Amino acid sequence: MAPVKPPRPAPDFSLPDMDGKVHKRSDYSGKVVLLNFWATWCPPCRRELPSMERLHLNLKGKPFQVLACDQQEDGDTVFAFTGQLDPAPTFPVLLDRKSAVSKAYGVPGLPTTFLIDKTGQIAYRAVGGREFDHPAIRALIDELMAA
Amino acid sequence: MHEMKISALCSLPVLLAAAVTALAGTVQNTNPSNGLSNWQSENTRFSLQLLQLMPDNVRAVYSNKGFPPALVEEMAGYCMFGSVIRNLADEPISYDVADWRAITADGVRHPLRTKTEWLKIWQGQGVDFGWSILPAAQTLEVGDWGQGFTTVKLPHGTRFDLDYSWRQHGKTFHAILEGLQCAPEQLPIPPHKP
Repeated sequence: MAPVKPPRPAPDFSLPDMDGKVHKRSDYSGKVVLLNFWATWCPPCRRELPSMERLHLNLKGKPFQVLACDQQEDGDTVFAFTGQLDPAPTFPVLLDRKSAVSKAYGVPGLPTTFLIDKTGQIAYRAVGGREFDHPAIRALIDELMAA
Repeated sequence: MHEMKISALCSLPVLLAAAVTALAGTVQNTNPSNGLSNWQSENTRFSLQLLQLMPDNVRAVYSNKGFPPALVEEMAGYCMFGSVIRNLADEPISYDVADWRAITADGVRHPLRTKTEWLKIWQGQGVDFGWSILPAAQTLEVGDWGQGFTTVKLPHGTRFDLDYSWRQHGKTFHAILEGLQCAPEQLPIPPHKP
């Protein structure tokens, strides 16, 4: 992931997850947030989701949160897809039906992922799929959690 | 996959307005099960891979997204490729698809239809879907990559070279993917029927 220089404020948002529960970015102030923009029809998005779940499980209890923000698909489509994943996501999968949030973040293409620090600043960005439990990315998250 | 090395382009750097022609090559692979081809640039710091996309694939993608039938047919009439781009340099690179050209055998340089142009057409027809086409212009940081469709208004089966470019460290680089061909209307090797 590449540093965002200078770090810029992460726009706040309010989006439902697949159960209808509304999540705001500001709900997670004080935590490092890995915010991923994806869709079920996007092959690299599909490939990287299990690595986010592994990261989520490995960092349970730490000031860290994964949020995956699906683009322009309905809950049934997303639910049918995530149910097939191994491991299936246990972090919130949000529905950005009009891509309003991805536009606010300036997402050029899918997947794109941001690391947001505990003060709500975008610190790193990755365009294209990654293995998010890779030690290099884990080191960035550890550094942000310790800051 | 059948792999065929196409002649490498070994042009000397072009000393015009800081434009540089990269020492590039093109590798073609053909899927033996259906006859569809893809092309991959070699020896460039901005890597580009293009995969033939059948008109029926295009129809399936956009019909599934609820596009109006006439718009689906317009898109299926384009020469379309699945595209994968990668920044293999050790510094940021940027590109603009509006600068790329498909060069046909008659020497005509055809502009590609960019995502920005498609979005205007889609929005004009009430479609709010905003994904699938390769981003028209962006900066890729070290390790970044992406994918999406590239589109050019050429008949199915047309052969051409693609002159694509990017900017890196204040210089514009060009490379040519040689021997490309728009997908045909029908699969080169029909699906096997039991």
